[in-house]
Amino acid sequence: MSSSPRRRIAPEAVIAAVVVILLVVLVPLVVYSKIGESLFPPDAVTKQAQDVRSLYNIVFAIAVAIFVAVEGLIVWSVIRYRRKPGDDELPAQTHGNTLIEIIWTAIPTVIVLFLFGLSFNTLATVDAVGNNPDIRIHAVAQQFQWTFEYLDQNGNKVATQTIPTAAEGGGMAVPVGKNVLVTLDSPDVIHAFYVPRFLFKRDVIPGQTNRFQFTIDPSEATDGHPEILSGQCAELCGTGHRTMLFNVIAMSQNDYDAWLQALITKSNATPPPAPSVGAGATLNVTAQNIAFDTKSLTVAAGQPFAIDFVNKDPAGVDHNIQIRDASGNVIADPPLTDGGQSATYTYQALPPGTYTFICKVHPIAAMTGTLTVH
Amino acid sequence: MATHALAPATTAYRTGLYEWLTTTDHKKIGIMYVINSFLFFLIGGFFALGVRAELAQPGLQIFSDEHVYNEFFSIHATVMIFLFIIPMLAGLGNYAVPLMIGAPDMAFPRVNALSFWMLPLGGLLLLSGFLTQGGAAAAGWTSYPPLSEVGPTKSPGPGQDLWIVALTLIGTSSILGGINFLVTIFKMRAPGMTLFRMPIMVWTILVTSVLVVMATPVLTSALVMLFIDRNYGGHFFDPSFGGNAVLYQNVFWFYSHPAVYVMVLPAMGIVSEVLPVFTRKPLFGYKAFIFATAGIGALGFSVWAHHMFTTGAVFLPFFSLMTFLIAVPTGVKMFNWVATMWRGKISFSTPMLFAVGFLAMFLIGGINGAFSAAVPVDFALHDTYFVVAHLHYVLFGGSVFGVFAGIYYWFPKMTGRLLDETLGKVHFVIMIIGFNLTFFPMHMLGLQGMPRRIADYASNAGWNDWNLVASIGGFIIAASILPFIWNVFISLRNGKIAGDDPWEGNTLEWATSSPPPPYNFDRLPEIRSERPLFDVRHGRLDHGDATA
Amino acid sequence: MTAEGALQPIDATGAPIVVQEGHVARGISNPILGMLLFITSEVMFFSGLFAAYFSTRAHNADSDVWTKPQQLLNPLSLILVATILLITSSFTCQFAVWAIRRGDRRGFIRNIAFTFVLGIVFLLLQGYDYTLLFGEGMTLGSGVFGTTYFTLTGFHGAHVFGGVLMLGVILYRGMSGQFSSKHHDAVEAVSLYWHFVDVVWIILFSVLYLLS
Repeated sequence: MSSSPRRRIAPEAVIAAVVVILLVVLVPLVVYSKIGESLFPPDAVTKQAQDVRSLYNIVFAIAVAIFVAVEGLIVWSVIRYRRKPGDDELPAQTHGNTLIEIIWTAIPTVIVLFLFGLSFNTLATVDAVGNNPDIRIHAVAQQFQWTFEYLDQNGNKVATQTIPTAAEGGGMAVPVGKNVLVTLDSPDVIHAFYVPRFLFKRDVIPGQTNRFQFTIDPSEATDGHPEILSGQCAELCGTGHRTMLFNVIAMSQNDYDAWLQALITKSNATPPPAPSVGAGATLNVTAQNIAFDTKSLTVAAGQPFAIDFVNKDPAGVDHNIQIRDASGNVIADPPLTDGGQSATYTYQALPPGTYTFICKVHPIAAMTGTLTVH
Repeated sequence: MATHALAPATTAYRTGLYEWLTTTDHKKIGIMYVINSFLFFLIGGFFALGVRAELAQPGLQIFSDEHVYNEFFSIHATVMIFLFIIPMLAGLGNYAVPLMIGAPDMAFPRVNALSFWMLPLGGLLLLSGFLTQGGAAAAGWTSYPPLSEVGPTKSPGPGQDLWIVALTLIGTSSILGGINFLVTIFKMRAPGMTLFRMPIMVWTILVTSVLVVMATPVLTSALVMLFIDRNYGGHFFDPSFGGNAVLYQNVFWFYSHPAVYVMVLPAMGIVSEVLPVFTRKPLFGYKAFIFATAGIGALGFSVWAHHMFTTGAVFLPFFSLMTFLIAVPTGVKMFNWVATMWRGKISFSTPMLFAVGFLAMFLIGGINGAFSAAVPVDFALHDTYFVVAHLHYVLFGGSVFGVFAGIYYWFPKMTGRLLDETLGKVHFVIMIIGFNLTFFPMHMLGLQGMPRRIADYASNAGWNDWNLVASIGGFIIAASILPFIWNVFISLRNGKIAGDDPWEGNTLEWATSSPPPPYNFDRLPEIRSERPLFDVRHGRLDHGDATA
Repeated sequence: MTAEGALQPIDATGAPIVVQEGHVARGISNPILGMLLFITSEVMFFSGLFAAYFSTRAHNADSDVWTKPQQLLNPLSLILVATILLITSSFTCQFAVWAIRRGDRRGFIRNIAFTFVLGIVFLLLQGYDYTLLFGEGMTLGSGVFGTTYFTLTGFHGAHVFGGVLMLGVILYRGMSGQFSSKHHDAVEAVSLYWHFVDVVWIILFSVLYLLS
């Protein structure tokens, strides 16, 4: 190295300084930007989720610090300690240093114990289940749909929501600012109740009733302005796993009261009479094991037709036979038939072409087929 | 230091097919392990490309039957874990360990051959599931019951049974290999090679073999119980008859967590061999390294239920604490590696590129693991793409990069020829770019709520862009393998002749010809430290046993 | 790879190759160490099954699903005879080991033969006991108790069967004069395995029959 009287700054030091400055500027810029947003979970809607988010922020900060420091050292060493061509001299053969080893064992131990303590505290809030929830819901996960039973304070069912998603006019409505207890059961395989904005999921295990509580922040909904939160099964449960969507709908207390009343009425109402069969062909379709017994149906064009549908799956497993045109638009959507029931679906006359028939609750391959109208 | 080999290096092998099929020579067996494992890497990669091709855009474009999609990701992971990484590292160990300790072969050469041949057989059994009526196993590589039990909407076909049988066979192969390594390492070291003069690669294989011998049989018990439930009317995991689905998860993860250390420790061993050679310094903290490795092995048995935090059936504080603690020895290793590079004189041959790549990528995998150690955060991230990001950063960014470092490092010893440096660098650059493009976005996808193991996602969930980036990255990874394969092909014919010691290595395998004679060594140098060849070459500049 | 009385190794020029002094096989032999490690792996296999047993038992504490079939298991029955025979076979096995260690080939063969026969009798008694239990309605599929019972004892029986095969092999080799007081690693290894099988049975018997 040069030993002139005026010390020249090594080029590596300049590079290092520039990189450090860039990092100090760029890292906060990225973290707080639009892209940076995706480095964090979505905005928390429950009290519990807010606690988790705070914990996440701390873990994230420590993670970024460690990453920048260690990755920086790796990059620095690799640049600064390159072997110059023709340099055959050995570098100093440092075998180790006991003091440094102790230091860099002790400091990480302290850091992880600190993180453990923090997470243990947060866990206490997130996992807490009290004795007097305001609302009790029994969520049943099955292959491949969610059913939400609303219970009174004694645990008796008062209403059942069989439509899990808001898009179809259903969803698990809850009032904001109130303590909601959810108990989870499954009659078949393991599922998981996951709502990203709760920053939470819990497995639904056959033979074991899991439970959790949450309180949605009161600011999330006001009268006439509910908030729809998306949820999805998060434990592989078979071919329809990706279709097990649901929504939690945060509502003001007034909206919720009205909603629940309407659901109670609907749950208790007698089912509508079966529509009369008009002129035209009657096809036969059976559903069992979450599959139709046929993948193709044929009818004549220009005539109304009917399908005698038998649902051989167990009670609680609903199906219907929706018709969609070639572009995927729904042109007929008859009511759901519960397991163990039958129904006759009537459809209006269709122009010639190729259509799809599909179960709207289980839009999987086994419950999809082609309807040819000629 | 050259030895007097009894035959010229380039014809040291009898090349007949019969020789290879019946060999008990650890070097040939090691090479067969490497080739077989690489083939399964390509097969596992094919399944991954299928998954990424489907997920590139919302809507089901490729898989009209979701069951086949489920088979793809299930077999992808099963192949990568049991037929690629674990045996690949066992194979590199098989090749290197006897040479590095100055032994003529493994302790039980015929059992060694048996261990190898069980692998292609197990692989065929596993993949033959695709030819059966119900398709291959499709309940994830974890095969949780009740989904993996028989039942019309569960896993009725023989594919799941073939999965069980294949894994039992492969597990047995692994256990026999572990026993072989332990006896070899404890009983067949050359004079002067005390335990604390063994190369770190040998130490990591030692600890890995302890894990294999103690943990793999527990997997066998889980597989056996599942098989009995499926085929003999058993009720281990069936709640309606008193069984318990979570029991499977406990027994399964008791093995599968130590298995991840089986998958990474030997790769760390390889990095610990490559770094000192290409920085011209000893490994910093040799003894600390050994204690850290042993610590990881021991702690690794105490964390299994961190895969089950969301079941509501585990004692959360204990497993969270142990999971946080295991970060400490892992971090110690990372610091020791960086300290090895510090003030070294680094040359960037391909093995070194992959070793540094390991450090840079494994660091990320270790850090994002800490998020899941915090139980409430895990409640948000479990079973999402965040975990997929974590596991690939440690297993691909970590283990696979370590594997490639080992392949480029030992290829000259195995074949007598060097791999081309330019093609190696091209491979490295394309692979590390493709790798990060594929897996970094998965952090974001998981945080935004995308679950694992779904064939499709809603187009308005906000996941479209990152999925597309990840899929493009996946195909870039695939492309990066091509220069590697080409490199192997041309170097076998026309590569530069390597000589005994092309890298100025530190350890005993470089003290014999490339490739070595069947009995490995004519003569061994004096062994007085963990770098016997360095000592010989530099007249024992830095003399005496390594101290921390 | 022993050097006693072997030819002097030479290199390509005919010069003798100096073998490093001091390399004497010490301590436990390779095959015996290998067998101990194998037994370790088998212990872990049974641990997994025992974990399933205890977990399932706890899960069904005091329930009919568990206690009713549990009552079918009577420790003071044929199974006790089988247990005593198996324990005896461990003794005869050890006598065989001591015999061959002091070069007593006849004593070795006699005792291994006893061990071999006792092993077979154990298997026959176990098989018969199974038929009695099937008659009472307890099978692999009859409930979770049956599943765990037959899995545990069945795999133990399979290990006994493997042990019987190994005993047969060393009996044959012993009769062919292949063992001496200096060279009988296979005998030591097989006896270790046989003791392991016996200890597992003692634990199994205690847990399944006595702990209730």
